[in-house]
Amino acid sequence: MKIRKVLLCLIVILSSIQFCAASEISAHKTNSVQERINSIAFDILNRNKIEKRIVFVYDEAGKKNLLNTDKALTKREVVVYDDMYKAVENDDELAAMLAREISFAVRSFDGVCNGFLRSLQIRAAPKKYEIVADKRAVDYMVNAGYDPVALIIYIQKTAPQLRFDMIHAHNLTSKRLAVIYEYIYTKYPYFLKNNKYIDNKYYQNFLLTSTANRKMLENKIKTNSKEKLDYE
Amino acid sequence: MNKTPYVLLFFLMCGCCAFAIQDDFVNTSLADKNLECPYYQEKYNYNDTTLIPVKLAIKNKVKSENDIYEGQELEFSVVENVVYNNKILVRSGTLATARVETIIANGMNGIPASVILGDFKVGGLESRKLTMEYEKYGVDLSLFVFPLKWLLTPLPPTGSLTNFIKGGHVKFKENEEILIYYHPNWL
Repeated sequence: MKIRKVLLCLIVILSSIQFCAASEISAHKTNSVQERINSIAFDILNRNKIEKRIVFVYDEAGKKNLLNTDKALTKREVVVYDDMYKAVENDDELAAMLAREISFAVRSFDGVCNGFLRSLQIRAAPKKYEIVADKRAVDYMVNAGYDPVALIIYIQKTAPQLRFDMIHAHNLTSKRLAVIYEYIYTKYPYFLKNNKYIDNKYYQNFLLTSTANRKMLENKIKTNSKEKLDYE
Repeated sequence: MNKTPYVLLFFLMCGCCAFAIQDDFVNTSLADKNLECPYYQEKYNYNDTTLIPVKLAIKNKVKSENDIYEGQELEFSVVENVVYNNKILVRSGTLATARVETIIANGMNGIPASVILGDFKVGGLESRKLTMEYEKYGVDLSLFVFPLKWLLTPLPPTGSLTNFIKGGHVKFKENEEILIYYHPNWL
């Protein structure tokens, strides 16, 4: 009888130790991820001289709840969900993800009622501001010393392709990628000429899937046209 | 018959045939261009609070954001002397430039257009110590379009008709001042 009690106690003690160790490891992992996010995010803020207060939170919960409001607009708090974070492979890609969110948060400070109206506009015209956020993210990345081509890679990996964008709140991902590519080509061609990601399989997939759009840009450059391209 | 050497040879040949797609468009159009890596400020120290206003006015007026393009350089002139420690750093009338960073077209629901200017170059002032960007908006009509929309919502489809009210264009007039700041003691 005594032996049984001792064994039971031992099992309880061992399992609680195991549980504590597991939660300790998990806490340590969360802490190091949060540290990495903060380090890159605050470099982007400081190197771009962004005079607005924005905080960054790593959420292990996984996916963003569709019913939740965008905290970048309401609380100027950029939430990095595990679902977004797990696709990040290097600092450039993490900077790409954060720079997009920062550009949304920055826009929510200006205008009537301390940016309330601007936030409403972003909610009312998400397609327009999605493109703006992509473009600003490229600028923020370059000013902070990161390679903007990583934004193409990150979006290529993570954003699904819609069938249509006419009646949808988001643009076709292929269109967004083409706009980013054109923006980099026009403003920061150095990164395309000295492209360190040219052999990256995701970038190669972007090249493969964007042939028609890149052809349109090629014609635009050749004809010296300034018109806005209607990418597919 | 031992097929192993043939199988190995086949896989070797497959490996030789695999190649990465090259970005021919970039290779041909940018090959002869001498491009430098864009500058970025690795170190910073924002301890100092001194800031000097720099007033600029555009040289040739811009009627709408459709008349300019991203990456274009706009010319400005300095409106007032830029003075620091009783010393004139930049005289009025000096040429200044700014780059059009991003253009945001006007949209439905009275959302205004806006133009973000950056990369300011003013006389002998160090660019990295100047304001990073300046955003100019068109007339914002959404302030009354949104309440109007909500008021008309009980009478469908009149509320939705307010979607077609567009916001104002961005204009730069010659006599209009743009205020940026110079931080002389920042790194």
